[in-house]
Amino acid sequence: MATVEIENMTKRYGKITAVDGMSLSLGDGEFFVVLGPSGAGKTTTLKSVAGLVDIDEGEVKIGGRTMTQIEPYQRNVGMAFESYALYPQKTVFENLASPLKSGRTGTYSTQDQKQRIDLVTTTLGINPLLKRFPRELSNGQRQRVALGRVLVREADVYLLDEPLSHLDAKLRAAMRAELKQLGEMSNTTSLYVTHDYQEALSLGDRIAVLHHGTVVQVGTPEQIWQEPTNAFVAKELGQPEINLIDAEVVDGHVRQVNGGIEFPVPHDVDLARGQRVRLGIRPSDLELVTPDSRSGPEWLRVNGTVELAERLGRNVELAVHVGAVEVIVLTSSEHTAHEGETVEIQVRLREVHIFEHGEDDDDCVRVGAAAPRERATATPAPQSEGEHAGRRG
Amino acid sequence: MAELMPGRKRVTSGAIAADILLVMWFVFSLFPILWMVLLALKSSAEQTSTYFAFTPTLENFGTVVSQRGQDLTSVDFTSAILNSILNCAGAVIVSLVVGIPAAYAAGRWKYRGSEDLMFQMLSFRFAPELMVIVPLFVIYNQVGLFDTTFGQIWVLQLVSMPLVVWILRSYFQDLSPELEQAALLDGYTRKRAFVMVALPLVRPGIAAAALLAFIFAWNNYVFPLILTDSAATPVTVAVTKFLGGGGQAYYNLTAAAALIGALPPLILALTIQRYLVRGLSFGAVKA
Repeated sequence: MATVEIENMTKRYGKITAVDGMSLSLGDGEFFVVLGPSGAGKTTTLKSVAGLVDIDEGEVKIGGRTMTQIEPYQRNVGMAFESYALYPQKTVFENLASPLKSGRTGTYSTQDQKQRIDLVTTTLGINPLLKRFPRELSNGQRQRVALGRVLVREADVYLLDEPLSHLDAKLRAAMRAELKQLGEMSNTTSLYVTHDYQEALSLGDRIAVLHHGTVVQVGTPEQIWQEPTNAFVAKELGQPEINLIDAEVVDGHVRQVNGGIEFPVPHDVDLARGQRVRLGIRPSDLELVTPDSRSGPEWLRVNGTVELAERLGRNVELAVHVGAVEVIVLTSSEHTAHEGETVEIQVRLREVHIFEHGEDDDDCVRVGAAAPRERATATPAPQSEGEHAGRRG
Repeated sequence: MAELMPGRKRVTSGAIAADILLVMWFVFSLFPILWMVLLALKSSAEQTSTYFAFTPTLENFGTVVSQRGQDLTSVDFTSAILNSILNCAGAVIVSLVVGIPAAYAAGRWKYRGSEDLMFQMLSFRFAPELMVIVPLFVIYNQVGLFDTTFGQIWVLQLVSMPLVVWILRSYFQDLSPELEQAALLDGYTRKRAFVMVALPLVRPGIAAAALLAFIFAWNNYVFPLILTDSAATPVTVAVTKFLGGGGQAYYNLTAAAALIGALPPLILALTIQRYLVRGLSFGAVKA
């Protein structure tokens, strides 16, 4: 157990800057998730903490100790590689025993080793595979062995590189729940890297969203979900992606360009007359208006035509033309509409995010919402960024 | 789907022509070997006859390895075989001990001039041996390495080392560095990560490189021809002694000696054929 501090870290590969002046601070025992698309510098971040790549600027501290001159095998960190990196010539048991036998992760008797391996493999459901070689395993099984090789040992920090990415959807959901309990159990500071926003939201005590090697936002899952710093973060979270709609400020109202969405300028948001903005509305926050729909001043309604209705099991994804733009609505299969039908859709005003208008999604900084979030539903998590928030921390 | 039936192929005139050419090439390339085998089975009286009909005899092989052969050529052919084995094994061991770590370093780390260094090493194989043999001869005479096993190992290692380094480098490059990184994080030092993880995984490569190097060293002729006299003379040089220096040329004995001398590398090549192809491709085939 230890804190991890990454200070002003920069790593370049030739002309490419993989990580650009990153600063992160992990609390003791915190489960910290780094979320970002591929190529954002996630793996480089992990390997820098592990000492497997030499960083060009800045420093990494584990437990307050500067790691610059410390070799990887002296850092007491465990890492699950995305490529698994299982030793092909060793059985699953030997792979799992490897960190226990090195002598640098603590001393374990043969009995201790067996016991630890037994515990981990039972939790991960790979107990029957102990005598097999990695080549005889499926990708999902390999990934669990790789995870097991980390969890079997005690470490100051666990580094997990997309440890669930190669599992099938069902197993991934199950393992996600499992992993959270494992994390609780071992209570070790963990740096978890993923491109899957659901993993990030469900596992992370805090999340850092990474883009082009820089940290765009750090916060609790609630903060990241409810108040994304900019349109990039908003787009990273949620499937289908958040709807982004161009609008401008006219006569004290925010009005969609060539469309029907309109609401008064919220009093707590500073918007100049004539300013162009971008509205962000999540598909899951939108719903079809039916006779028994909830209504009131906090709801924003707009008319549109259904272009496409795609049935996804319990949910239906509707592509609704509102003015010139296509808005995706995620609705339940009981309240759906047919293609070509004219419908009315509605969203709570407080779920309408207002971004500045910029060239790039990164430039579209969030300035607020169409209505303030009531305190009652606001997140109880601490708002300050420097504090180590966490369910366990 | 009759046309997709396995084992059925339309016969075209082009294919027939290609087959005929291949058979001709086959005969052409195997003929010297056939000639050598026939010659080795002929008695001294028949050795220059050009008829294929003759009375085959195994007597030549006995002569070559016996005292009689030694009397004819002043070279002990049996000890020449032992010399060859000793010289080549020594050269291969030196090449492996130095070459494996060198190959690992070359495969894992890039630095300014690393490619040039590798190419320079390979260029030993391009340079004609005759170019360096005169200064080498002078040096060997000066420092007393002439006609010694150690001297032969030292010079043959020039032949085998580049092979070992180049072949094994490609094997190490094919290996994911994350395997060793995982070992580092498991708490092993770089040296132990190398020994524990990387080394066992390139064992097929080591086998291929070692045997290839052995064969190349075995087949070397120019270095031992100039740098040995009798004590460290290997098979390749000993064979030619049967051609006689000014005296009578024993073609049948030469052929028999050459056959015996070709056997060890041939047996080795056949046993590791599978690895050899991979080794010869210098890692061009990523497996």
